[in-house]
Amino acid sequence: MSIKRLTTFFTAVYANPWGHVLILTIYYLAIIAGLILMYGKGDFSTPDFVYQGF
Amino acid sequence: MKQAPHLIAGLAAILIPIIAAIGFTIHAQALEMRYVNALAPLNTEQSLRGMAIQRAGFQKSDLLPVFGSSEITLLQNEYEAQKFFRSYPTGFNVLGVANLGASSITVAQNLAALGTDLKGKKVVISLTPANLVMKRLSAAYYAGNYSRLHAYETLFSPLLDTNLKAMIAKRMMDFPDTYKNDPFLNFVLIQLNGKSRINRGFYYLCWPLGELQIQIMRLQDHAIVYSYIHDSRISSNIPRSPKRIDWPGALAKALAEQKLHTANNPFGVEDYKWWAYSSLLTNPAPPGSADKQFIQRMKVHPEWSDLNILLLVLKELGAEPLILSRPMNVRMWEAQGVSEQAQNTYYDKLHAAVDPYHFTLVDYQQFGTDIYFSIDQGSHTSREGWMHVNQTLDDFFHGRLR
Repeated sequence: MSIKRLTTFFTAVYANPWGHVLILTIYYLAIIAGLILMYGKGDFSTPDFVYQGF
Repeated sequence: MKQAPHLIAGLAAILIPIIAAIGFTIHAQALEMRYVNALAPLNTEQSLRGMAIQRAGFQKSDLLPVFGSSEITLLQNEYEAQKFFRSYPTGFNVLGVANLGASSITVAQNLAALGTDLKGKKVVISLTPANLVMKRLSAAYYAGNYSRLHAYETLFSPLLDTNLKAMIAKRMMDFPDTYKNDPFLNFVLIQLNGKSRINRGFYYLCWPLGELQIQIMRLQDHAIVYSYIHDSRISSNIPRSPKRIDWPGALAKALAEQKLHTANNPFGVEDYKWWAYSSLLTNPAPPGSADKQFIQRMKVHPEWSDLNILLLVLKELGAEPLILSRPMNVRMWEAQGVSEQAQNTYYDKLHAAVDPYHFTLVDYQQFGTDIYFSIDQGSHTSREGWMHVNQTLDDFFHGRLR
């Protein structure tokens, strides 16, 4: 698919009310996905300590 | 649609991840149920700090959760419960949740976080007298056993009395390093600790954000366990060999092996540890010379109030626990000037603490003079000691202990 055809396709989708919502939803999902990837990884680690068994 | 496309798109973008998260949680829980028997003996970091593996373990009728500290983990040997019962000889294995330096207050938070999973369930709380009569809980040990998820689950538990949560919050504030980078938790602790209605009001206002934090951490916990199961390629198929255990024979074998590891001293101390005691014990203290100091130190030891918090948590959540102490190592304490009579005050205080709750308590006092039961003064379990513990666990699991 050429760039011109892609542009035409997305312009047509964006012009459609439901298409507009769909593209916006994908946009917001991408932001959320990025935030999850950046900050979502849990860290359950604890500081090391030297156990002094008696 | 034309008027609010961003609103609709925004709502959809929030709903879709929520639905995905719910779907992932259901899938992860099913996976954890399938693999928990394989994970139980591994004592992974995530099983200590998270909830996912523990929750799955409590759902299984062939796993007995055992919470404890160094008396469980210090001596690696074939007689430890998780190894001894690994082929499910009598129909169960142990899910060990134990770590060096764990204490009653960290275990209490772990249990509180389990909530309804504890109701009507058997659980073993393993104790060593060392935690209750020797050094106080250090900040390093607490931090090394602290779980942010357990802390949040405890403080926002809908099942615990607010006064109990306030007691736990007060104790948590003795270890500020664990929450200094968590301003929200700091705020919640201050409000719970406060006595006024305004404090309580603020605490309840924090609840939605606290719940959100908990849900996020639970998802992270599931993701870590999910990833571990896939990366480690462990098999969910655990071979089982039901058999009748020859307890006297197993005990004799463990004792014989224990003696091989205590050959360099007359006190039954594990050979590799003797260097720490030899100078004290070659010049024993006069009999009874340290009795007063021992009794006084034990009387005011903060671990007793932490133990009481733990017992309250068990009671409020409706668990069916076995409180499993280890015996005082009589000969070693005597060599340091603490008479057996003074040592016995530990058992008096333990029973005074536990008996009002009508929980099953085993204290092994009868083994105090058995030099091979423990490997050191701290009553860390030896190979022989483990065989006694294993028999007790078997009796408890099968309902033979009262």
